[in-house]
Amino acid sequence: MEDKAESDEEWNYQFLEELVEDVEENQNIRQCIECGKCIGECPASKISDFNIRKIIQKILRGDKSVLKDSDIWYCFLCERCKRVCPKKGVNIPLLILNLRNESFKKGYGPQYNDLTKYVEMAENFLTNGTVLEDPLDGSLSKERIDELNEICNFARIKYVFKASEASKAYKKKIHKKRVKK
Amino acid sequence: MEINNLAINLEEIEKRYENPLDFFRGKKLCLFKACLEKYFPGVRFGIHDFLEELGLEVTICQNQSCCSGTFFQRNLITRAQFAAINERNINEINHQADILLVSCNGCYNSLLRGRDFLKDDIVRKKTQDILNEVKEKMGSEKYHGQYDILENPKLRIIHDLDFFYLIREELVNTLKFSLKGIKIAVHYGCHYLNLDRDKDTNTYLKDKTKLEELIRLFGGVPIDYQERESCCGWGASQIVIHPDDALKVTYKKLKSAENVNACFILMPCPTCLYTLSKPEFRERIHKIFNDELEIPTIHLNELIAILRGCEEEQCITLRRKSPRFDQIYAHITEE
Ligand code: SF4
Ligand code: SF4
Ligand code: SF4
Ligand code: SF4
Repeated sequence: MEDKAESDEEWNYQFLEELVEDVEENQNIRQCIECGKCIGECPASKISDFNIRKIIQKILRGDKSVLKDSDIWYCFLCERCKRVCPKKGVNIPLLILNLRNESFKKGYGPQYNDLTKYVEMAENFLTNGTVLEDPLDGSLSKERIDELNEICNFARIKYVFKASEASKAYKKKIHKKRVKK
Repeated sequence: MEINNLAINLEEIEKRYENPLDFFRGKKLCLFKACLEKYFPGVRFGIHDFLEELGLEVTICQNQSCCSGTFFQRNLITRAQFAAINERNINEINHQADILLVSCNGCYNSLLRGRDFLKDDIVRKKTQDILNEVKEKMGSEKYHGQYDILENPKLRIIHDLDFFYLIREELVNTLKFSLKGIKIAVHYGCHYLNLDRDKDTNTYLKDKTKLEELIRLFGGVPIDYQERESCCGWGASQIVIHPDDALKVTYKKLKSAENVNACFILMPCPTCLYTLSKPEFRERIHKIFNDELEIPTIHLNELIAILRGCEEEQCITLRRKSPRFDQIYAHITEE
């Protein structure tokens, strides 16, 4: 029971309010009754220290250390918890995405070098419209690709993409230098 | 503005049509392009060929992009950007079809979720702002409303599994072979099993025994196993971020199905299929757990193609073939 706040003073909703400002639905995590049903069925809890009840408790106490915890990167976004939670408004996967976003913004999330696996996918999406290099029905037309690029303006996906272009240019340069030598 | 999630109302079709296939006749159908169909062409072929045999009009939308769910789930795009990509796709498809069939849980989840986000006033406004910018950039519209959020489009979305189940009586009549009593384990995949975005549409998503019922109908025996409801391990790229941990989930699932002597695992999603069958994953599992798993996996669309007697090469990708799979194939297709 030591998890539970003993007096009202232990609750501090400032952090929650910040999250709610971004995603209104997060308000609903206040309904959590700590029943633990979500944990028993959660794949992330089976392979890591990820514990959604603890994460909710931390948020409700205004404890921002969750943003630094590696745990939040273990959620499978499988929506199992949504199915078993007795409180219908609680949307854990959306909350987790929101936390990861905050974590990214503060620079705690994976660095761009950790995102290398996504570089290729991002590049494919912004140049041919799918995540694969060679899609089943060929690439989208240039017009449709322009639309996707416009939609993704200022999104992280663009930075990942630019980072990939920069690293390609760099590799080329190095290669040229070596050839010259 | 009222936004609906476009999931087809299966109960209503069952109520209104003695033969549910009649609902689809005369309508234009479109198959959503799931990126991973590239690895499993039998998934697309399995439904496309069947629809053609039924004499239905079926197309692919050349202007459709990937649903971008994978980028949203990795925080590389915002909710509004994701919803805008989804709305662009839905708008293009709505322009050419009445019904959209989806072979992948991930795509299905994205299509409904993108609409779901639009129910939030702030996200909807941001999404429309993004689409307005696209319109400005492109200079003009190809058709009226190309860059607008659709208020009440005619388009309806249906998962392939729900479609096959809905018209199962007709389906059975087209089969050349039966499953001959073989034991089969099922995997629905989280984004079919756990989806609750249908709360307001009363669809069949609530009862999750359709795969088992279809197996029985095809003459097989569905077999229960402990990890029936667990994730395949993909988990929104967990298998990429934390591969060895995620493979524990994959291993447990496969092992559990092997333990009950299932002949293969049947599923309605190419992403689950990818995770549960990729040779590199199986090899890694072998290394980590010192256990070599042989259980074959198959997508529902591929199985239906086999049972309809289509050519083997078109039903199933060679890359996944194994002696164990060959035996099953030979057994099912033996006259
Ligand atoms: S969505 Fe995340 S928290 Fe919920 S059950 Fe799946 S892994 Fe656990
Ligand atoms: S199942 Fe719902 S109410 Fe119970 S602990 Fe999890 S989030 Fe809280
Ligand atoms: S769910 Fe995955 S495979 Fe399907 S379209 Fe989206 S990104 Fe591509
Ligand atoms: S089982 Fe795996 S691939 Fe299938 S829907 Fe779930 S996470 Fe996605």
